[in-house]
Amino acid sequence: MKQMKQSTLRRLISIAMLVVLIILFSALAGTKFLNANNFIEIVRDTSVVAIVGVGVTYAIITAGIDLSTGSIMAVVGMTMANIYAYTLWPIPIMILLGLIVGVLCGLFNGYIIGKIGIPEFIGTLATMTIFRAVTYIIAVKDANGVIMSQPMNISTYAVLGYAIGPFYFVVLAMIFFVVAGQILLKYTRLGTNIYAVGANKKAAALSGIDVAKTRMIVYTIVGLCAAVGSVFTTARLQSATTAIGDGFEFNPIAAAVVGGVALSGGSGDVVGMLIGALFMATLESGVQKLDMNNAYQYVIKGVIIILVVMFDAAYKNRMDRAAKEQGAKEGME
Amino acid sequence: MKNFNLTKYSKPLILLVFIIVLTILRPSTFLTVSNFANVLWSISVIGIMVCGTIFVFLIGGIDLSIATLCGFCAVVTVKTITYFHNSTGGVFAGILAALAVGAAAGCLHGIVITRFHIPAFLVTFATQSIFLGLSMIVTSNKIISCTEPAAFTAIGAKKILGFPLPIYLMILIAALAWYVLRKTEFGRYIYAVGGNATAAEISGINVRRSTVLCYVFSGLTTALGGVILASMTQQAMASTGSGYTNDVITAGVIGGVSLLGGEGTVLGAMFGAVLMGLLNNGLNLMSVPSTHAGLVKGLVIIIAVGFDALQHTDQARKKVKKIVKKEA
Repeated sequence: MKQMKQSTLRRLISIAMLVVLIILFSALAGTKFLNANNFIEIVRDTSVVAIVGVGVTYAIITAGIDLSTGSIMAVVGMTMANIYAYTLWPIPIMILLGLIVGVLCGLFNGYIIGKIGIPEFIGTLATMTIFRAVTYIIAVKDANGVIMSQPMNISTYAVLGYAIGPFYFVVLAMIFFVVAGQILLKYTRLGTNIYAVGANKKAAALSGIDVAKTRMIVYTIVGLCAAVGSVFTTARLQSATTAIGDGFEFNPIAAAVVGGVALSGGSGDVVGMLIGALFMATLESGVQKLDMNNAYQYVIKGVIIILVVMFDAAYKNRMDRAAKEQGAKEGME
Repeated sequence: MKNFNLTKYSKPLILLVFIIVLTILRPSTFLTVSNFANVLWSISVIGIMVCGTIFVFLIGGIDLSIATLCGFCAVVTVKTITYFHNSTGGVFAGILAALAVGAAAGCLHGIVITRFHIPAFLVTFATQSIFLGLSMIVTSNKIISCTEPAAFTAIGAKKILGFPLPIYLMILIAALAWYVLRKTEFGRYIYAVGGNATAAEISGINVRRSTVLCYVFSGLTTALGGVILASMTQQAMASTGSGYTNDVITAGVIGGVSLLGGEGTVLGAMFGAVLMGLLNNGLNLMSVPSTHAGLVKGLVIIIAVGFDALQHTDQARKKVKKIVKKEA
C-alpha cells in the first residue's frame, strides 16, 4: 500500500514539473509558446520519442540501455527507401519489411546481450556503429554512386505524416503504443519478469525466470518500436537519408529517466516515460520560442535537465530515508 | 590443456593477428616505422584521454561529456592564445586555462554526482549539452584558427627522434596513470570503490572524495587532449573533438575495462587505443570509406568483449545449475 502511494506521488510530481515548465515558458515567451497549435506540435514531436521510448523503458527497467535506436531507425528507413526506389511492391509490404528489419536488428542486440552476455551499454554502442555503417552501405545511390536522399512522397505513404483534425496519425500510434506498452508491463507475465530481471538478475534466474530470453524479447521489442518510429519519421519527412536518427538514441533515454525510470533498473513505467518525453519536448519547444541564439539553448537545456534530476534525486533520497525510519519504527514495535 | 586460458592471452593475440593480417594485405605500406609513428600519433589524443577516464570507469561511472568538453577546452586554449596576441607566454596561459576548465568541469561532475546521488550518465549527458553551448557562445559558432606561435603548433607536431611529441606525452600520462593505479594507496581505493562502494565506505575509504578526484583526472586529461587536438589542427571550433566520447569509451572497453567498475588496467586501455588506431589505419590503407568502417569497428568490439562475456555467462550458468541441483 505504501509503495502504491509513493509511486502515485512520484507521478504527481512529474506532472507538476511539466506544468511548472509550461507556466514558466508561457510567462517568458507569451502567446508565441502558449497557443493550441504549438501544443499540438509539441505532442507531435513527443510521439516518435515516446513510441521508441516504450521499448527503451523496458530495456532500462531490466537495468539495461539501448544506444542503437537511432541507427535502427536509419537501417529501417533505408531498407524501405530501397524497396521504394527499386521495386513496385505495395506500400504495406514495404512497411512490413521495414518492421521486420527493425525486429531483426533488435533480435541481434538481444542475442549479443542476452545469450552472449555482452554488457548492454557496450553491445548497443557497437551495434549503433554497425547499423549506421550498414545504412551507408545499403544507401540509395545515384548514377555516379553518390549517396542521395530518397524521396518517399507517394501519397499512400506520406499520409502517415498527416493529421485527422488535431490528431496526427503518429500521435494516435503513440497513444496505442503507450497504452499497450503499459498493459504489457503491468498486467502480463512478461512485464513481471522484466521488473524481476531489473531488480535482481540472480534472484530472477533462481526463481525460474529465463533471464536471457526475457532480455532478448525486450531488445526485440525495442527494435520493433524503433522501426515504427522510423516509419513515421520518414513519412513525415517524405524522404529517407543516411542521417535519420543521428543522435536520436539519447532522447528516449532522457525521456525515460526524467519520467522516473531508474537507470539502476527495476522501477518506473511507460506512462512515466511519456510524461518525461512531453517534458523534454516542451523544454525543447519553449527554449526555441525564447528566440535565443542556438548556443544558449544548449546551455539552458543542460542546466534544466540537471536541476530536474537533482530535485528528483533529493526527493528520492528523502523518501528512502522516510521508508527506512518507518521500517525501523515498525521493527522497534 | 584445459587449464590453458585463452582469454588471458586474447588481447596480445588479437593485436598480433591484426598486425599479421595487415602486413600480408599491405606489405609495403603497413609495416614501416613511419606508419607506426602515424598510427601512434593518430591515437595519442584518445590514448591520453582514456588514461584519465579510466579512473571514472573504474569507480563505475561514465563520462559522456568527453567530446564537448574536449572541444570547449580546445576553444579556450585558442581563444586565450589569440587574446595574448599569439605570444609564447600566451601558450602557457592557454594550456593552464584549458587545464583549469577541465579540472573545474570534472570537479562539478564529481560534486553533483556524489552530493545528489545522480547517475553519472545523466549528469554528463546534461553537461555535454552545456559545454557544447558554451563553445558555441565563445566562438560565435565560427572556426578560430591559430597557426602562431611556434610553441603552440609544436605541441601537436614537433618530432623528437622521428616520433611526434604527443606520443611521448601519451606515454608519460599512461605511465603516471599506471603508477597512481598500481603503486599508490589511492589507486587501491579506486578499485575498492568500483568493486563495492558500500564495502569501501565501511572500511574507511572516503568514497566521495575519491569519486570527485576521479572525475577531476578525467577532466584534466580531456582538457589536455583538447589542447593537443587544437595544436594538431591549428584551429578550434565547437565541433572539435566530436565523436571522441565513443572512441574513448570503445578504447577502454576493448581493452577490458568494465563499465560496471572495479575492473581494468591502464595497459589494457592503451591496448584498446592502439587496436583502434591500427583498425582505423588498416581500413584506411585498404581504402574502406570511413562511413563503412563502423561495421568492422563494431564487430571488433563485439568479438573482443564477447570472448570475455561468454566465459562469464558460462560460469554464471553453471553456478545457477549447481545451486538448482543442490536444491533438488
